[in-house]
Amino acid sequence: MRNYINLINLVSQTVGILAASMVVVAVVITCQMIFIRYFLNGSTYWHTEAVVYLILAATLLGLPYVQKLKGHVNVELVPMLLPPAGRKVLMIVSFSAAILVLAIMTYYSADLVYVSFTKGWTSETVWGPPLWIPYLTMPVGFGLFALQLIADLFEVLLTPAEKIILEGSTH
Amino acid sequence: MDPLVLGLLVAATTIFILFSGISVANGLLVVSAIFLLVFDGFRSLELIPEVLFGKLDNFALLSIPMFILMGAAIASTRAGADLYEALDRWLTRVPGGLVVSNLGACALFAAMSGSSPATCAAIGKMGIPEMRKRNFPDGVAAGSIAAGGTLGILIPPSITMIVYGIATETSIGRLFIAGVLPGLLLVSLFMAWSIFATWRQGGIDALAGRTFSWKEKFEVLPRVVPFLLVIVGVLYALYGGVATPSETAAVGALLCLGLAIIIYKMTDLGTIWVMLRDSTKESVMILFIIAAAGVFSYMLSSLFITQSIATWIGTLEVNRWVLMLYINIFLLVAGFFLPPVAVILMAAPILMPIILGAGFDPYWFAVVLTINMEIGLISPPVGLNLYVINGIAPEIPLKTILTGSLPYVACMVIAIIILCVFPGIATWLPDLLMGQAVT
Amino acid sequence: ELRLSHQWSTKDVRHKVAEIVANHVKDANVDLDIKIFPSKSLFKPKEQYKPLSRGQLDMVVLPLSYAGGQQPSYNLTLMPGLVKNHDHAARLNYSPFMDAIQEKMAEDDVMVLVHGYLAGGFVGKNKCVSHPDDVKGLQMRAAGKSFNQLLAGAGASIASMASSEIYNAMQTGVLDGANTSSSSFVSYRIYEQVKCYTPAGAQALWFMYQPLLMNKSTFEGLTGAQKKALLDGAKKAEAYYLDEAKKQDANSVKVYKEAGVQIKEMTASEFQAWQNLAKETSYKQFVADYPEGQRFLDLALAVD
Ligand code: NA
Ligand code: NA
Repeated sequence: MRNYINLINLVSQTVGILAASMVVVAVVITCQMIFIRYFLNGSTYWHTEAVVYLILAATLLGLPYVQKLKGHVNVELVPMLLPPAGRKVLMIVSFSAAILVLAIMTYYSADLVYVSFTKGWTSETVWGPPLWIPYLTMPVGFGLFALQLIADLFEVLLTPAEKIILEGSTH
Repeated sequence: MDPLVLGLLVAATTIFILFSGISVANGLLVVSAIFLLVFDGFRSLELIPEVLFGKLDNFALLSIPMFILMGAAIASTRAGADLYEALDRWLTRVPGGLVVSNLGACALFAAMSGSSPATCAAIGKMGIPEMRKRNFPDGVAAGSIAAGGTLGILIPPSITMIVYGIATETSIGRLFIAGVLPGLLLVSLFMAWSIFATWRQGGIDALAGRTFSWKEKFEVLPRVVPFLLVIVGVLYALYGGVATPSETAAVGALLCLGLAIIIYKMTDLGTIWVMLRDSTKESVMILFIIAAAGVFSYMLSSLFITQSIATWIGTLEVNRWVLMLYINIFLLVAGFFLPPVAVILMAAPILMPIILGAGFDPYWFAVVLTINMEIGLISPPVGLNLYVINGIAPEIPLKTILTGSLPYVACMVIAIIILCVFPGIATWLPDLLMGQAVT
Repeated sequence: ELRLSHQWSTKDVRHKVAEIVANHVKDANVDLDIKIFPSKSLFKPKEQYKPLSRGQLDMVVLPLSYAGGQQPSYNLTLMPGLVKNHDHAARLNYSPFMDAIQEKMAEDDVMVLVHGYLAGGFVGKNKCVSHPDDVKGLQMRAAGKSFNQLLAGAGASIASMASSEIYNAMQTGVLDGANTSSSSFVSYRIYEQVKCYTPAGAQALWFMYQPLLMNKSTFEGLTGAQKKALLDGAKKAEAYYLDEAKKQDANSVKVYKEAGVQIKEMTASEFQAWQNLAKETSYKQFVADYPEGQRFLDLALAVD
């Protein structure tokens, strides 16, 4: 279990760094687009689409890392009212529910990647990139997010109930 | 099942699941999946990834990570402290002195940052210790900064306004302008209360003017020049035909990154990474809530709940102001617990037809909604700004922060009432600059 | 119960078309109920075709070219100069060209209930846009891939943005001109920001095929009476759609005139210049991307 937790943490961090750099690249591309249009009066037909896919990819690939950083906001009203044992059970249940839903989404988004790849779907713009590339960020993001949640679930299972600390409600 | 009954069931389930400690976004996905599975059949789950993808496949969303990056870059420099000091030295003759310059600094900083906690932290780090040193009551010192920080989402740029614009398909540029005068109204109310509360608690000394020599006044000026340049640059890009509102955020982000690295000498890779990591964390968190809320509203629409509620409210024979009162109470209560982004995304599809049907201006409503969300940021149980203040001024007891903030909540309620009486405060400036609204 | 999705407001002609079908079916008392989800309340515009083809959505009013990334032949339903006017469009709807398009739809388990084309024109912020030479050096925003290729070929710079951003971009000067549908020109109040409008008149370049589509298997699973009610309603809606499509162009001219915008009709020779350019740009690119497309293009050009 420990090894698994460490491995997933490492993978999450790696894709997290990738996600952060995608945001920076999106900033640069947007500014380049403005520059081309305003100063060179040139065409900017691929920029907006590329930027949209970069932000989309950054969001999806950033999911596991943000989970590792405990950055997904939550409201711990019920756990605060519960005794430690009940709190632990509730955490296990809510983690499992999220993992199940993410697993379903991973499966169906992987199917979407497969279909769009085999049928050669592209976006219907002048640039027209193949759709399976942006779609691919979904199964990867959801899948790693689920694996990171499993690691966090293990962490909860390994910790005695009275030692579980609530993160404090944040937003 | 009757869609309205189903709606109640969804509401109860959502409240329970969101309060269970699961993250807001995952909670919304779990609720959506359960109801789609039970009432729309197994195959409807297949659609969830596509709906989610569709929500994120939107150019307007770009401005969210950009404005967050812009605020994070600025917040990780001593720009906040510089701004604070400059205002402190120049506003000596103004009654109230320090607390007034603090609130002014919050308002100015808000013009660079789209988020409240960032504004709070940037000004509070310097402002709170200074105010306590000069004998301002703890409650005023903490409350004024907590409240001043909330201006971050009313004075443009504002993440809340962007999300509202996306959810309701209103013009983000126009929403931004609509927030300016109400932001100034709020900051005036905050100033008035701060002065009154300090005076009442015997802090007349604190309010007394301080003197700075002209040398002291002028030597601080160059330090706010880069700050003003960024604001001017962003405004020029936005209104000078350089970029659309969504694109402007990137200009701001690049300018602020450049400012941080070149002027403020933030060249240490570790510091840059911490800034990038924190801004990415916040962006991903918000964007994933947006995506999940998109799935949630798909579920509500697919089960015909949204439409039924709107129709039902349309049949109610209530006065439009009574309706507005109920909507405000609903928003307030939701804002007590949930982050603004989640409230807006879940409520907007249901509220928008009602608001328009009752003849309210969507831009005016955006301002009222934002002030409601601001109240949530400085009220228990999960007022984020309160925790930020607690973090930067641990010597002030949380209870004092809480009680000190409450009068500022009252100021915000008064601001909402003023806006109801004079809606022009929100609509006049956008009408002047952009012509009548296109709806 | 059938679910119908579209992206427009309840005031739009395309909503009315859906409503006519829904009401007719309801009045026919064949135990069939069509629930309309307007204003993209269910799916985003470009996310509608996939669920339709998989039967997760039953009906949709959709600009068919939105699915051009999945069936490249659909790109011909938004191709400059291919449709000359509304009557020509009506003839195209029942031609070997549309039969070939419908064969492609059948591959995705999709069928047409109501045919319909809507037209559009050009606006210029500072000058009229009616000849290819007019757009040289301008920042233009066009609706559709092939129109972007055409304008780029004419020497314009292409800026991509949502149609909801046109107003603002025109106001601040990010854009010099735009091309979109007559109804969008009115609903986004772009007349407040432009000097000249070239509407769809006797000559029009921009026609977009926006049919009411249905999932084929779902249709085939209905009873005979239900099918008949649907088809009868569709026939009624189609006549209305054609009529309204013509009215929309006229209405946009009226609105722009009232707003004090100069109206510049496209002449036959200007149309010819655009079409010649289109052959060198959009048509050429279409066939290059999709060699099988030559057959579709020939079929379309053969319709008189
Ligand atoms: Na702000
Ligand atoms: Na709160």
